[in-house]
Amino acid sequence: MKILIIEDEPALMRTMEEFLLQEKYVVEKASNYGAAVEKALMYDYDCILLDISLPGGSGLKILDEMKREGKAGNVIIVSAKNSLDDKILGLNLGADDYLCKPFHLSELHARIKAVLRRKQTDGKDILTFGNSAVNFKERQLTVNCEPLKLNRKEFDMLLFFVTNKNRLISKEALAEHVWGDNIDLADNFDFVYSQVKNLRKKLKECGSDIVVGNVYGIGYKLVI
Amino acid sequence: MKLINHLILRITVGFTVVMLFWGAVYFFLQMKEIHDGNDEGLTNLKQEFIAKANAVGGFVENMERETPLNLIVKEISREEAEKMVENFSTTTVYFATELEKEEVRMLTTAFRCEQNGKFFQLQFFTSTVESDDLIKNMLYLLLGLWVTLSLTIIIISKIIIFRANKPFYELLDKLKNFRLDTNKIFDFPQTEIKEYAQLNRSVEELLKKNIDIFTEQKQFIENTSHELQTPLAIVIAKLEMLLEKYQNNEYLSTEIAAALNTLNRMKRLNSNLLLLSKIKNNLFTDIAEVDLQRVLEGVVADFEEIIACKNITVVSTYSISATVRMNRDLAHILLTNLVKNAVAHNRTGGQIIISGKANSITIANSGTTAATNVFSRYQRDANDENSSGLGLSIVKSIADLYPVDINYHFENGLHIFKITF
Repeated sequence: MKILIIEDEPALMRTMEEFLLQEKYVVEKASNYGAAVEKALMYDYDCILLDISLPGGSGLKILDEMKREGKAGNVIIVSAKNSLDDKILGLNLGADDYLCKPFHLSELHARIKAVLRRKQTDGKDILTFGNSAVNFKERQLTVNCEPLKLNRKEFDMLLFFVTNKNRLISKEALAEHVWGDNIDLADNFDFVYSQVKNLRKKLKECGSDIVVGNVYGIGYKLVI
Repeated sequence: MKLINHLILRITVGFTVVMLFWGAVYFFLQMKEIHDGNDEGLTNLKQEFIAKANAVGGFVENMERETPLNLIVKEISREEAEKMVENFSTTTVYFATELEKEEVRMLTTAFRCEQNGKFFQLQFFTSTVESDDLIKNMLYLLLGLWVTLSLTIIIISKIIIFRANKPFYELLDKLKNFRLDTNKIFDFPQTEIKEYAQLNRSVEELLKKNIDIFTEQKQFIENTSHELQTPLAIVIAKLEMLLEKYQNNEYLSTEIAAALNTLNRMKRLNSNLLLLSKIKNNLFTDIAEVDLQRVLEGVVADFEEIIACKNITVVSTYSISATVRMNRDLAHILLTNLVKNAVAHNRTGGQIIISGKANSITIANSGTTAATNVFSRYQRDANDENSSGLGLSIVKSIADLYPVDINYHFENGLHIFKITF
């Protein structure tokens, strides 16, 4: 999978690159408007991470160019501007998602996976873990071919774990992913704990191979 | 006191003093003129009398006996005559015809009759203007004049001063309604008066400068929080990479997690600050009819798990749902912050009581003591180190944008927030 990072901040670029390389992606980089337009129009990427404020021009203009060339899609805008107008404009110009800085790497990863999944039009959108299968499109989990009933938030948590398998997921990142930015009750992530406990219980009761591990005091990790 | 009345009062008082002084001076001059005229007549009379008395024998005695109407003749001794000084006086004399004493001007003098060498005291008198009457008449006249002039002055002043000051009052009115955060200066009233034109210019300059400073200030906060987002993103991403790498090292992972925790707090603080300045910069312009009760129900559902985890009971009663014209996102943020507040400052096993009425929504939660200055920035519980302290001030800023009123009170162990619209 090939990913283009368009980002003018070198330190952030390096970290994102390192992270994506760890996740076994092929990474290309562009740190200004000119280079970004050139790369985005010349090559095909599975996903483009696009910063809006760039030296030389706006990221939105790149989107515009891409749309004109019929290359829109698979773009995640990563912007420090949490502006609704930019979001709407970006999505209208063909971006798939909008992620605000600062973000959790696990969140970035989940967004990239979602974009990649959407791109896979070849039917099956199912991940299997031993006796368990997660169907992303149907939003369903089956264990030994038996569907397991999960509520919306339990399934969101499961998806987040599955997408970030083998990665450490902090409680904050999980809470923000499932409950949104507005749930900033940092003093009280107990509810996350009890929610994960419920999910674990359900998984365990039907003997699923998916096991959500506990990283004490920090968060969780799904190990396969 | 209004400027116009202030001026008129002072003009009238000054005017009265001048009138009184002028009246007194006029009175004394008038009396003096009258007396001078009288005195001259009396002197002539005296000279004529003396000439006749010296020429005609028995004239004086005749006069003394007959007592004419304007003369009193009395024989006196030589010593008395020598002591006597000729003088004019104003006195009263009884007139039988009028049955009363009349004010007269009197010349008292002594003379020696050459016919018989006797000394006489002569008192010539003539009726004069009665000073009482004169004073009375003058007072009436003055009073009349005063009233007429005062009324004229008041009316003319009212008209002239009011007309002349119109631009000033208009300016005052416009200044009263001026708000710094609207960024728009009103049209200044037209005037041909130099001072008011100058005032207009000075006020305009002052306002422009203030608007600039205010805008700059607002922009500064927004830009600063905005600029902080990228460095925060870098640090958070880098620490998350480190945490991933050293997750098996208990010491490092705990320390990094603690640092991340703090950074997340900073992130929230920053995004709240950004949100707050965006609200104040009026960047949420889309306005729609928003059903607050529906939004509220959704918000409560978002908090479902946390509410359950804290074992909080939510009691909601809704009557007719009402809509408010406002920005949908802001409505959501407003209610989220209130519900979040009701959850965070609640005790385990506490209550949240929500009641929606036609024009108000009340969100109450269990608590121990009344809080103060809840809507101020960075006002928070001492033991709540994770709260940004901005939630309720965001609520207030949103309410301020619309005809929505929010207030807080503590009653029967409940923190009560009431939104009226």
